[in-house]
Amino acid sequence: MSMHGMRGLSVFISEIRNCQNKEQERLRIDKELGNVRNRFKNEKGLTPYEKKKYVWKMLYIYMLGYDVDFGHMEAVSLISAPKYPEKQVGYIVTSCLLNENHDFLRLAINTVRNDIIGRNETFQCLALTMVGNIGGREFAESLAPDVQKLLLSSSCRPLVRKKAALCLLRLYRKNPDIVNVDGWADRMAQLLDERDLGVLTSSMSLLVALASNNHEVYWSCLPKCVKILERLARNQDVPQEYTYYGIPSPWLQVKTMRALQYFPTIEDPNTRRTLFEVLQRILMGTDVVKNVNKNNASHAVLFEALALVMHLDAEKEMMSQCVALLGKFIAVREPNIRYLGLENMTRMLMVTDVQEIIKRHQAQIITSLKDPDVSIRRRALDLLYGMCDVTNAKDIVEELLQYLSSADFTMREELSLKAAILAEKFAPDLSWYVDVILQLIDKAGDFISDDIWFRVVQFVTNNDDLQPYAAAKVKEYLDKSAVHETMVKVSAYILGEYSHLLARRPGCSPKEIFSLLHEKLPTVSTTTIPILLSAYAKILMHTQPPDQELQSQIWSIFNKYESCIDAEIQQRAVEYLALCQRGAALMDILAEMPKFPERKSSLIKRTEYSEGDTAEQSAIKLRAQQQTSNALVVTDQHPANGATSPVPVGQLSLVKVPSMITTENDTSTDHPLSQQNGALSNVDPQPPSADLLSDILGPLAIEGPPGATVQSEHNAVSGLEGGSDAADGSAIVPVDEQTNTVQPIGNIAERFHALCLKDSGVLYEDPYIQIGIKAEWRGHHGRLVLFLGNKNTAPLVSVQAIILPPAHLKVELSLVPDTIPPRAQVQCPLEVVNLRPSRDMAVLDFSYKFGTNMVNVKLRLPATLNKFLQPIQVPAEEFFSQWRSLSGPPLKLQEVIRGIRPMPLPEMANLLNSFRIMNCPGLDPNPNNLVASTTFYSESRPAMLCLVRIETDPADRTQLRMTLASGDPTLTFELKEFIKEQLISIPTAPRSPAPPAAQPTPQIPPNDPAAILAGLLS
Amino acid sequence: MIKAVMVINTQGKPRLAKFFEYLPLEKQQELIRNVFGVLCSRPENVSNFVEAESIFGPDSRLVYKHFATLYVIFVFDSSENELAMLDLIQVLVETLDRCFKNVCELDIVFNYSKIHTILDDIICGGQVLETRSTEIMRAVEEISKLEAAPNAITLIPKSSSGWLSR
Repeated sequence: MSMHGMRGLSVFISEIRNCQNKEQERLRIDKELGNVRNRFKNEKGLTPYEKKKYVWKMLYIYMLGYDVDFGHMEAVSLISAPKYPEKQVGYIVTSCLLNENHDFLRLAINTVRNDIIGRNETFQCLALTMVGNIGGREFAESLAPDVQKLLLSSSCRPLVRKKAALCLLRLYRKNPDIVNVDGWADRMAQLLDERDLGVLTSSMSLLVALASNNHEVYWSCLPKCVKILERLARNQDVPQEYTYYGIPSPWLQVKTMRALQYFPTIEDPNTRRTLFEVLQRILMGTDVVKNVNKNNASHAVLFEALALVMHLDAEKEMMSQCVALLGKFIAVREPNIRYLGLENMTRMLMVTDVQEIIKRHQAQIITSLKDPDVSIRRRALDLLYGMCDVTNAKDIVEELLQYLSSADFTMREELSLKAAILAEKFAPDLSWYVDVILQLIDKAGDFISDDIWFRVVQFVTNNDDLQPYAAAKVKEYLDKSAVHETMVKVSAYILGEYSHLLARRPGCSPKEIFSLLHEKLPTVSTTTIPILLSAYAKILMHTQPPDQELQSQIWSIFNKYESCIDAEIQQRAVEYLALCQRGAALMDILAEMPKFPERKSSLIKRTEYSEGDTAEQSAIKLRAQQQTSNALVVTDQHPANGATSPVPVGQLSLVKVPSMITTENDTSTDHPLSQQNGALSNVDPQPPSADLLSDILGPLAIEGPPGATVQSEHNAVSGLEGGSDAADGSAIVPVDEQTNTVQPIGNIAERFHALCLKDSGVLYEDPYIQIGIKAEWRGHHGRLVLFLGNKNTAPLVSVQAIILPPAHLKVELSLVPDTIPPRAQVQCPLEVVNLRPSRDMAVLDFSYKFGTNMVNVKLRLPATLNKFLQPIQVPAEEFFSQWRSLSGPPLKLQEVIRGIRPMPLPEMANLLNSFRIMNCPGLDPNPNNLVASTTFYSESRPAMLCLVRIETDPADRTQLRMTLASGDPTLTFELKEFIKEQLISIPTAPRSPAPPAAQPTPQIPPNDPAAILAGLLS
Repeated sequence: MIKAVMVINTQGKPRLAKFFEYLPLEKQQELIRNVFGVLCSRPENVSNFVEAESIFGPDSRLVYKHFATLYVIFVFDSSENELAMLDLIQVLVETLDRCFKNVCELDIVFNYSKIHTILDDIICGGQVLETRSTEIMRAVEEISKLEAAPNAITLIPKSSSGWLSR
């Protein structure tokens, strides 16, 4: 073999093995890499043997996890060596070290082609293998005809042809056009007449790939598949070497049945009958035997047959036969078969009418929940979750609760979420539901997401009968010695609202409830304290007649927190103290929370989403696709339930318990955050902080009927922005008009503008995909998460996301998977660092394939200038001294702007506020003027204060004079332009770049592609 | 489609790693570490399946077999049959066993080029290519003949037998 005789290599490996620790290993490897690098530098003296040796060393080092960033050329050059040993090394190492886009690889295309069309069979095999492993688009274009020829050639040996088939498959994946659909279907059918099982196995893989994209063309292959399956199942004409532990090629059998699952149905009655006979034979003729390998092989075939039976929607009799088999499997000793039995039973749930039969196995499935193998426990959990309905919910949920205490940590979160959902979905009565959730919090508090306890609060609030029960229950839990913080939260909320309903019970006087809660305060974190403070205020309000002692106790607590460093706590303390002193007004303000609008549980929505990918498997894919889409897709297309983005659902649509609104934000971000609530501005145009109630009643009091939330949010946004126009849809730039036949849902430009104002929402949506975005901004850092949600029951493939960052942003996108499975959602974090002020925009170049549709869109990312601003309130003296010291251009710029969209001054102030530029009322004596300030954060400089003055003309609202000042000329210019764009262009004016010719724009490097693109887009 | 084949020893050292979808090196190493982290905590006599989506993303499955000091791992998507993949691991291992006459970890360490050749004969582009270990052996021997070099590997001692116990 290649390394035979390579003493140097064996010695090197031995030395590495003898290294005592990682440090030694690294030193040895660095030395070797240095050595190899030197030898490659002076290539003249290098013999092919040495080159080969060094290239193997590189591969070995690479496998150990060390980056080898040189020598790629040497590896590729070995491909063209005339002798086999060097050539082989070249091909193998190249396929391991390089990826399909590597430039060196393109250089080798000609050599590779010569090997493929040459007469040396061994070279053909090497070349086909490499192309089959890493060939890219260019390979596809230049090699496809040659590879097809080899595959179809009658003079080629099977050894070459089977490789050619898989090579062609790879090339087809890289460029589907290389397979001419009409002509190829006949050839494909011809290939299936092949007698050689090796060629047949590869061809079947090729058919699976082709048919999964477009099964209609390949109808003629269907009867041939059935014939092949029959031949194998009856063991006719199968050479001995193709049987594996006595089973005729299980791989070919499995692949053939997989191929059949890509055809929706089999119409020809004869073919169908033959197939069912074969399947019947497989189902009945497979036994569990002693030999593990034989078992695995025969059951591979059996489970695939089961999947095919389910796919074909066989007669009821055959189905119940399948369920019976599965029932047998989940009880056998062999763990693999038990595992697959459970998994397939879960899939079986999608078939109608078998649920009742599956329920008979409930006891056995519950036993599997205690299996020593976590993989099996997971499958059992999935199955129990899937088979749960009103009749068995109580049993199953109680089983899950019991299991929770002993379950391993990796499963607890999923387990508790599933239990919570089942409890909600199938609760026979609500008090049972409350019991379950409280038990969950008690047993696995760390794993209970906020969603879960928000939901229980929602139920309790909406059901009067439930309130005393829930209050009494949480009190019981609080009486225990160790209480989880989540329990404190939910208890505080419920007791604050409803403990007065218990007042007559022993131990439930306001005072007792208060001290019960208050003794927990030292143990909780700052996110819980605000809820406790609210509870105190409510308890105090409910204490009739007033209890002076309690009152002074609670007031002193408020007093203490008035100077708390945490803004949320401080605000509450101040507000409650002020409220309490108003006496009677307190009653109205702190009255019981109104009922929540009925809406679908986001918990349920969330799992429906993920249910899609666990239950959905390729076998059932097509059929599911043919079924009319269920509620899931509908809910997600119309975010009428208050959800504006796919995953933030949790945060957005659930009961917005007030304290959750500001948890991690400091004072300075308070404003834009409340502003984001959107709906606020409808009710009260004043800055939110002026509204003492906003923080308690904020989202609740304002919420109308379910649909209205989103509506009002939209209004608020468009109110601020002035209603985006449809003409602006040009943000979508189809790269190639013909490929983009998919129409986006909603207006992309509108979505973008909305996202400039808020931090989460939908960036893009079309019938196949929804791209949501969620962002967090801290100074000059931004952390965005892209949520790529596949809305379909088929996968999206060739998914690519590339960020074209402008020069002023450092953007890092984590790996985006090539495929998004059906109904799945992928999260791709994105880090943004702002280097300099600029209005250029980062663009997301996103493409994917669905069926034959190639979709490519270029989307602006809302990493706009305003995201790096923090509002700041500047006291008058400071403002004026700064204003004076920034005396004139280029630090202070003034411009008269015409064509302004007329708006009242408060609206303009709101608009600025929404961009985090804070209005400073009272600084300018002229009521027609507006003064605002903000700070800008970038990596290159410390936070930079920016001051804005806008002078309006009451006689002509379409013009104004704006002056902008900051310590950085670029910032001054960019921010001025930015504000200007917001003021003028929104309603009708085309977004032509407005800056007057005189303004130099040196900040935009002319050769920056993103800048050019952004220019095109704006 | 098969996404990756890995051979990791019970200490967590990779002995072979082949990815059929390109991944940067750091990512490969991270995946290897994560897989090892899961496998090393699994008891004996459990199933050969491990939940893989948390490591490899959606639509991925993992089967593995544990032999003496090595784990052999296949990662693939839902278009493959799990048990058939397990059979393919067996084919790989039986072929190695024939090649090295009772193979052990050291054989793989010092002959990783041969392992690559064998693997290229079994899987191509993430698809099953050849399943007859006799045929693979024949191809490998044919190749060996093309290399007229003396055999230096005999210096390596054989270790524990019974490697194929499961």
